[in-house]
Amino acid sequence: MSTELIKAIVELNRDAALAELKTQIQAGSDPHQLLQESQAGMEQVGKRFETGDFFLSELLLSAEIFKYLAAELEPHLLAASGEKKLGKILMATPQGDIHDLGKNIVTLMLKTRGFEVIDLGVDVPVDKIVKTAIEEKPLVVGLSCLLTTVLDTMKQVEGQLRDAGLRDQTRFMIGGGVTNDSTQTYVNADFQSTDVIETVNYCLGVANAA
Amino acid sequence: MNSEERIWAAINLEKADRVPIGPLLTNHGASALTDKTQAQVHMDADMALDAILEVFDAHGGWDKVEYPFPCMPVRWGYTAGMRVKIPGIELPEDYVPQPIESENVKPEDYPVIAEQGWKSFAENDLIFRVTDLSQAELDQVNAAQKVVNERAAKEWKKRNVVLASASNDYHPFFKLSLSRSLIKFTEDLFYNPAPVKAALETMTKETIDSLIAGARETGTKIVGLVEERASTYFYSLKIFEEFWVPYMKQIIHAMHEEGLVTLMHLDTNWEKNLPYFRDIPAKSAILSFDGMTPMTTAKEILGGHLCIQGDVHPSLLTTGSPKEVSDYVRDLCTGVGGDGGFILGVGCEVPSACSRDNFKAMIETAKSL
Repeated sequence: MSTELIKAIVELNRDAALAELKTQIQAGSDPHQLLQESQAGMEQVGKRFETGDFFLSELLLSAEIFKYLAAELEPHLLAASGEKKLGKILMATPQGDIHDLGKNIVTLMLKTRGFEVIDLGVDVPVDKIVKTAIEEKPLVVGLSCLLTTVLDTMKQVEGQLRDAGLRDQTRFMIGGGVTNDSTQTYVNADFQSTDVIETVNYCLGVANAA
Repeated sequence: MNSEERIWAAINLEKADRVPIGPLLTNHGASALTDKTQAQVHMDADMALDAILEVFDAHGGWDKVEYPFPCMPVRWGYTAGMRVKIPGIELPEDYVPQPIESENVKPEDYPVIAEQGWKSFAENDLIFRVTDLSQAELDQVNAAQKVVNERAAKEWKKRNVVLASASNDYHPFFKLSLSRSLIKFTEDLFYNPAPVKAALETMTKETIDSLIAGARETGTKIVGLVEERASTYFYSLKIFEEFWVPYMKQIIHAMHEEGLVTLMHLDTNWEKNLPYFRDIPAKSAILSFDGMTPMTTAKEILGGHLCIQGDVHPSLLTTGSPKEVSDYVRDLCTGVGGDGGFILGVGCEVPSACSRDNFKAMIETAKSL
């Protein structure tokens, strides 16, 4: 275990993290082990967020560092094969809204924790979200928005997931600046949050229960 | 009491005959509450003004109008440094205009901003990175804006309503975050802060000059300052103290010395940041919250020092029932607003899918108390 790598991530030291990773790769360390250590660093960052020592900015910076590390590791992981994912999460901003900042942050953090994320992007029609959910059978369908104009679209997605018989196996979560408890009730979502780590923890809980 | 007396009673932390009402209604919400599409109110400033006036008049008016001059989205490029997709052009007719988060300002622009100031940089360079319009086309847009501003000033004067944020700007920190993009700006704050600070220094002086000049031109006594990305929802108090508070204080003090009150539009959760506002002069500002900052906490911390405004949530106005809206407004006005120092507002602004019945319930309930 490279404690130096974890330490550099938690200290948000981008250059030190990348240098340590390269050193470990050159030394012949197992790339899967290095990926797990990078994820362990991200987990510690997440814990500090939960205790109030870190804020969204630290999450963003650590996720950026993780992106650099993952890009460096990718060819070595492909060569070694056998990376295990926690499960699939389907993310989208529904039709009528093209805001993607919140969705992208959640997507990035889910990836750093080992999920396979299918990101359909922004302004996504209901039928495309539902069709993809039927095909991919994700653990969770997550919709993000910044506009109240798409709350009914979210509700339609939930209804069509239900009609397609997916709601027993697929959780439905929503987030974004205009959502709150009453929005969750309105669109029949299983979970709502404007907090990134709360959202990641919810998905981890779903994955653990699956 | 008339509207003017009610609003100033709230600013001066006194009790009025009822809680003053000041929902932020812009083009977005005016479209929802009239028969005009988002494209119509975002492509034609006169139509936007007509829609806003129609809503105001249909409800018998209220006490304070914020941002009284409807702004066309292409002009957001000057302030926010962001490219905006516009309904009727890049988006369907009834979509809301949507800014694109991207890195429009580069690290090498910081020294330029520090040297020239934001205005020069935005008008001569940045605007052409975020719009495809030529200078001649922009001149036309800006001239049209001036004309509609003059008409808006006359229309509002007839209605005896308090005009707030007729002179307005974004906090320099917010401008840089929007134009650099959230992640890149955050990297700058952590890994290369000196150029950011140099730009913030220049921009703050510029903001002060611009707000005072705008207040003199429009006659407003309440200037607007917007910030949506500086609370602990995004950053630690260390970052807040270093990159936001000093500049906010400079601006508020300068306005206060000029006899102006600053209406701060504060989106996201500011709960942990609230004590810092006790350091600015009493009665020098109105803090407007968007539904994420608990109003009771804001009252506990700032009561007796600053007027607060909020916070009927956009989701409640969109998906709630009129009774739920009425109940929320009643609780807010009698609880948080019971002893004065409070203006009834909405979370951020009247949402673009606001229910007409809910808007009516909000205004009528507040007037009845």
